Amino acid sequence: MRTLKTSEAAALLNVSPNTLRAWERRFGYPRPQRSSGQHRLYIHGEVAALRDALQEGLSISSAVSRAREALTADTDSLVGALSSFELERADLAMEAALALRSLERSVEEVLLPTFDELASRSGVDSAPWAFAARWADGWLRRAQRLSPAPTRNVSVLVGDATRDELDPDALAVRALELFLVRAGARVLSLPVTGVAGLADVLEAHPPTFVVIAGGHVPDDHVARWAYQARSAAGPLPVMLFRRPAPSGSVRATARALPEGPFEAHRLALGILDEVPAQKDTRFQPGARRVTATRRVGT
Amino acid sequence: MTRALHPVRVDARGRPVEAFCGHCGRPPEATESQPATRVCRRCGLGLVLQAPKGVAPQAGEPFLVVDSRLTVCAVSRKAEDLLGVPETRAVNRHIAEFLTPAAAEASRPEDLLAQLVAAATSDEDADTVVVRPVGEFGVRYRARIGPCGPPRAALIVLGE
Repeated sequence: MRTLKTSEAAALLNVSPNTLRAWERRFGYPRPQRSSGQHRLYIHGEVAALRDALQEGLSISSAVSRAREALTADTDSLVGALSSFELERADLAMEAALALRSLERSVEEVLLPTFDELASRSGVDSAPWAFAARWADGWLRRAQRLSPAPTRNVSVLVGDATRDELDPDALAVRALELFLVRAGARVLSLPVTGVAGLADVLEAHPPTFVVIAGGHVPDDHVARWAYQARSAAGPLPVMLFRRPAPSGSVRATARALPEGPFEAHRLALGILDEVPAQKDTRFQPGARRVTATRRVGT
Repeated sequence: MTRALHPVRVDARGRPVEAFCGHCGRPPEATESQPATRVCRRCGLGLVLQAPKGVAPQAGEPFLVVDSRLTVCAVSRKAEDLLGVPETRAVNRHIAEFLTPAAAEASRPEDLLAQLVAAATSDEDADTVVVRPVGEFGVRYRARIGPCGPPRAALIVLGE
């Protein structure tokens, strides 16, 4: 994916860098990513789409609207491919999405919205959903395998509480794992239903924090698994992803991550970065707390 | 003292036209030293449009631009204040959500829409109509309606 510095993007649009930043504030477009040095990096495809739309537009707002429409065509294309059970076309749609966006944004803006659309069309218990979800699960796992080796000294234990790969939350969980891996973390994903032998696994792969993801498995199973994990690896930060807050009398503190896997992975890694400096203050006042039936990993 | 000569721009019918920014309404800066751009170099938030002289907005006049499908394409800064809606939330919505003829007995909503379509699609001369914001009574504007572009669209300038 080709990216542009602010000056390059501004030159392509024939405007000043200040104007480009003003557009970002007013229209939210083009939306830059950030380099490791926190400099804006614009995606060439987004800027080019806006440049073309400006030629035909009557205002910046209408041009932005047209550019956005051009980009959402990828979602329509993926929905079309999966609705007609054409896997090759689905792969091509994702390739097209990746030409314009980062992998993270392709997943968040194209792949996951596609499944929202498919769920509303055919329901999550249907054969078309199963067909599409299996494809997406394979795509995300393949992307994870192709990711670079871990670069951070961070190991995430994902307690998978989804039903299976057809669970509506399963794709978001796979996406979160993928984003964590691409951010340089090591990710170990285990179903929360498998308690036996958990200590042995965690001895070989000691985690830095735990994410309990998915809402299918009941709280008592999850609590049993979390207790085993805590016994084996000691007290660890625990975060919940796509899991409703548990209820009950015994209190436990875990942090709820946002619904979107991209924001969730950023927040998770951000929390972790806070931990060494603020040993016992990882859940600061104002942070969202979740009260659970059992003490989970704190 | 010398003055630079500027060519008078004319439309297809030979009528003089004026250029203005679709957001701030001001005429574009002379930019001989810079490559041509449609983005207003004064405010950076609008595209430079043209309209026949007499229709184009004068300083401080609020205006809207609608296409031939009658969807709002641009709302000037002044019109945003007047209608209480930012351009970003007004674009792609039907003009009838924002403006309606002020005197229902004299002019039906369809007449206003027909005038806008005519302005956006034909070379008819500018027209005036009294309009009011939808949902507000006692506020009236004498609006000039005429063509503008590119691309071809209708301009509604809300006068006194």
